[in-house]
Amino acid sequence: MDVLAVALAALFAVAAVAFVARPFLAEPEADDDRLAGLTPGEQGRLELLEQRDRALGALKELEFDHRTGKIADADYEASVGPLRREAAEALRALEPLAPPAPAPVEKVDARA
Amino acid sequence: MARRRSPARLVIALSVAAALAIFLVYTALAGGTPSLRPSQVAGHDGRVSVAGKVVGQPTGTARSAEGLRFTIKDVQGTATLPVVYRGSVPDLFKTGRDVSVEGSVQNGVFVADKLVTKCPSKYTNKQS
Amino acid sequence: MPGLGSAALVVAFGLVVYAAVAGGYAAYRGRRRLLESATNALFASFASVLLAAFVLLAALARHDFSFSYVASHTSRELPLGYTLASFWSGQEGSLLLWLLVLTGIGSAAVALNRRLISTVLPWTVPILGAIASFFALLLVFVASPFGTQIAPADGVGMNPSLQNPYMLAHPPLLYLGYVGLTIPFAFAMGALASGRADERWIVATRRWTLGSWAFLGFAILLGAKWAYEEVGWGGWYAWDPVENAALMPWLVATAFLHSVMVQEKKNMLRVWNVVLVAGAFCLSLFGTFLTRSGVINSIHSFTQSSIGAWFLGFIAIVAAASTALIIYRLPLLRSRTRLESLVSREAAFLYNNLFLVAFALTVLWGVIYPLVSEAVRGVAVTVGAPYYDFFAVAFGLPLVLLMGVGPLVAWRRASLRAVGRSLLWPAGTAFVFGILLLLAGAGSSPAGLVGYTFAAFVLAAIVLEFVRGTRARHALGGGSWLAAFTSLVGRNRRRYGGYVVHAAIVLLLIGAVGIGGFATTQEGKLKRGQSIEAGDYRLTYLGSEQRRAANSQELRARLAVSRGGKDLGTVLAGKNRYFAEQQTSNEVAIRSDWLRAEDLFVIADQFNPEGSVFVKVIVNPLVNLIWLAGLLFVGGALITLWPDAREQRRLARRFAEEGALARA
Repeated sequence: MDVLAVALAALFAVAAVAFVARPFLAEPEADDDRLAGLTPGEQGRLELLEQRDRALGALKELEFDHRTGKIADADYEASVGPLRREAAEALRALEPLAPPAPAPVEKVDARA
Repeated sequence: MARRRSPARLVIALSVAAALAIFLVYTALAGGTPSLRPSQVAGHDGRVSVAGKVVGQPTGTARSAEGLRFTIKDVQGTATLPVVYRGSVPDLFKTGRDVSVEGSVQNGVFVADKLVTKCPSKYTNKQS
Repeated sequence: MPGLGSAALVVAFGLVVYAAVAGGYAAYRGRRRLLESATNALFASFASVLLAAFVLLAALARHDFSFSYVASHTSRELPLGYTLASFWSGQEGSLLLWLLVLTGIGSAAVALNRRLISTVLPWTVPILGAIASFFALLLVFVASPFGTQIAPADGVGMNPSLQNPYMLAHPPLLYLGYVGLTIPFAFAMGALASGRADERWIVATRRWTLGSWAFLGFAILLGAKWAYEEVGWGGWYAWDPVENAALMPWLVATAFLHSVMVQEKKNMLRVWNVVLVAGAFCLSLFGTFLTRSGVINSIHSFTQSSIGAWFLGFIAIVAAASTALIIYRLPLLRSRTRLESLVSREAAFLYNNLFLVAFALTVLWGVIYPLVSEAVRGVAVTVGAPYYDFFAVAFGLPLVLLMGVGPLVAWRRASLRAVGRSLLWPAGTAFVFGILLLLAGAGSSPAGLVGYTFAAFVLAAIVLEFVRGTRARHALGGGSWLAAFTSLVGRNRRRYGGYVVHAAIVLLLIGAVGIGGFATTQEGKLKRGQSIEAGDYRLTYLGSEQRRAANSQELRARLAVSRGGKDLGTVLAGKNRYFAEQQTSNEVAIRSDWLRAEDLFVIADQFNPEGSVFVKVIVNPLVNLIWLAGLLFVGGALITLWPDAREQRRLARRFAEEGALARA
């Protein structure tokens, strides 16, 4: 292996290692090294959000299908009521679960 | 609307799957053409397909009355079988290639009307 | 400088292993900086593999035969395009391409979803790292492209069958498809590992999945066109194991694309979706294994080496790990929603899935059966076209029917009366069309006739959908019909793009049935001046010509073509003899008639010493619809893929609400 190749390879390896170590070099002592996952409460709210979007989407699609003639008037009348109720329920379920006020960040010893 | 449909649905799905599986095995058995080695050909009267390696120098031409004459040998063995082929010759055909011929034995010679070449059995630098 | 290439691969190997191990630990323990570090390692690995790729490309470009790979796959006479494309014509190079695409696409997907991954899908990074580690391991320890030797005067050259423009495009496109399926797999498994049951992974990877599926489908058709022109037996799909290797993941990915729609709308089929995405990924690995290991002798098998055992082991590990993860998360995935009615769009999607997966399984069985039979019964068998054709018809026809019926059925519960009314016009059209075809003589192939009738049904249904939609839009917004049409498609890209894709598949079906059911063949020996007739055409042998090209000697028979007395020019069919490779290849003549979409296919089988030529002439009706379908397919896929500002805003709003949560 000629000198140029060795030099290039070494240079490259050093650059790669530096890039990989960057998060640690940039924050040698991080206050909060925890991965911000979701608490069960937040998870629940996310699922409700999806449910709401699903219900609203279904309503929109029902309207569209009715307008394009795919769904007869009778079927539309039969389906729109329950769907509207579902959407209303989902919206109602979301209200009490307003995003919580930011909690004080616990000082976790990163070296622990 | 029956909400307790799960067990029935499962049973139906499983039976369909089982029927399909049985059918598959059956058709594969019936639809698969046995591929023999030259050493196994003797005694088979009907239409068979034989796989082997082309040895020696092929003579004649495939689009003529005499046909393309060549010999194939067991890939792992020494038994050979003379073949007469009439039809289109695929690109990769040459001595040393693995081929598969379909036809029947007539007067000690295998008369084939289908010829398929396979790639060399060991990795060589030549891409094939 | 092969050393630089090897070093780059070793560095890449270290980086992806780090990404896998450190990323796994970071995800398990919830360590932010460590996960960032692992993500950086993934990005850096792409740079490293790119460096290795450049080294190989440079060596190819300057004909550096001290690289064993360059010497084994190229020669000085080989045109530059093919020389560079030999990057992926050989075993080691194609593995390097896999790793390059994987680290590239993986890095892009991770970079674009950084926040999502760091908050809720941390396991995606180690999973991508682990998959990349396998390929890096192979490249460093088992099949390195940077082996060296004493440089010979000239290289060995390239297999003549590979020397055509399709070789420049087919493998990279195919790999974009195969490797692209890794993204939804990694995100799905990442979601499961992180304990997530929501659909964020689906939304995040939807375009990646669509794109990979589109590339894969297009690459399959490109491969078919290559086979049609280059192998030249008159057909376009031989059910060769390696053709099937790409078809299987495509079928499963198609099923997946449909069933995720059910999950998005009804939150059902969650277990089924993760099973499908894992299946699609395992099948794409299996496809690579089939092509690269030579375990099944086929016209495609490029090599036979120990690579096969490694691949098999890796596939087994991936399958086992995915299964274990899915079973572990089963309680989380089980949905409470039930199928409300057997006549609903959900049900139609379910039937579609069942047929697609069943078809994929029958193809898989056809591919594996020879191996199983040899291992178990000691009898080698070959599974031929009749087996596959039977199931293609048995599963394909219902699938075509579903393409027509599905869009006309509403979600949740559709009354049979409403369905019947929607189906009336398309069904009527199809019936009339079928009768006309029967009278025109299409009854010679019953399956073909049924196929065409169904095709008419689906096309009529699709037209109906567009018409009804445009009419409704026009009623709402006024303006011109064209404006209504574009606004309709623009606001419902997924739906109408999907319809275009369905139309493409139907076009493919029409072409496939045309060539499969209604082709005519004639063969014979022609002296100069003699003619042969096939279909409406009359071909007269004018004489033979020879020409020396860069690396071959070309021998051609010139034939004059006429139809109904009208002169249609001449065609040249013959053979090429390649010097370096000591091989002869057939060069067929194809005369495409675009008005009738049919091909006149001429094979010059044999040039006899006394000056006559033996030709085989085939007329393939409607075959060009297959290639047209490929273009339409890509167009439809692009429509569904196209970024939709309105949808992005809605999703951004939803995720902002959730994102605010995550940072609370």
